[in-house]
Amino acid sequence: MLTCKEMVARSSDYLDGELTLGGRLLARQHLLFCRNCRRFIKQMRLAQAAVRALPEAPVPDADALAKDLAAQRRAQDKR
Amino acid sequence: MTGTHETEFLERLLAGEQQAFKELVDTYQSAMRAVAYAIVGSRQADEAVQDAWLAVVRSLPGFQRRSSLKTWLLTITANAAKNRYKQNRREVLLDDLPSPHGSIGDDRFAADGHWRVAPFAWHEDTPEALLSEDELRQCLEHTLLSLPQFQSSVLILRERQGLELEEICNLLEISLSNVRVLLHRARLKVFATLEHFEETGQC
Ligand SMILES: [Zn+2]
Repeated sequence: MLTCKEMVARSSDYLDGELTLGGRLLARQHLLFCRNCRRFIKQMRLAQAAVRALPEAPVPDADALAKDLAAQRRAQDKR
Repeated sequence: MTGTHETEFLERLLAGEQQAFKELVDTYQSAMRAVAYAIVGSRQADEAVQDAWLAVVRSLPGFQRRSSLKTWLLTITANAAKNRYKQNRREVLLDDLPSPHGSIGDDRFAADGHWRVAPFAWHEDTPEALLSEDELRQCLEHTLLSLPQFQSSVLILRERQGLELEEICNLLEISLSNVRVLLHRARLKVFATLEHFEETGQC
């Protein structure tokens, strides 16, 4: 049986599907019996989703960069 | 972006259409920056991305589509960044830094390995609800900025760009076990930030 501390230490591997089959079974078994760790995993998933959902900072000068790159691309064909 | 849509998009790029380059920059610049940042650090990341864009324009006519556009762009970026770096990054790779709200450390557990201070219920259970609080959003951004170079890049490439761990290993030339360690440390710091905010209502 895993301890909660061990469960937390493996939580990222659990979320990424990086545990071995045996490791996965141990984790599932722990989660089945441990409410605290179930909550922890649920909140880790929420934390992942929050990082994903953060708005993207706009690229400074994206228009100028795009204009420059497009011009370089067109110039290339003339060479 | 796949199939006919990508073919069409590439044609617009090859024709030198400004709007297509704008889409390219808006879509991929932040992933490219995360790759460059991991390899050369903050001081040279922007220059490395600039180098990468020039290489992209040069190489565009030869793009064979053996990989996705995204993988191709990120590989070019990694190469551009590697051409720039002089520092010995192996040494800084696993260095850790304290985060504004800490992490989930040993002090959270009793000697027998059970939770000493268990996670408590949060007020919100969707990312949208969490991020609707401006202060929390800023707090989270602050934590992300405080992460060491590799932790930050690995987290962004995994969570925001959806790259496979394997792809991250290849781009940054670090082992799978290091990617896993870095990702875990970064996630626990994000977790600690959200938990702190849910507990105190402030950053
Ligand atoms: Zn537990």
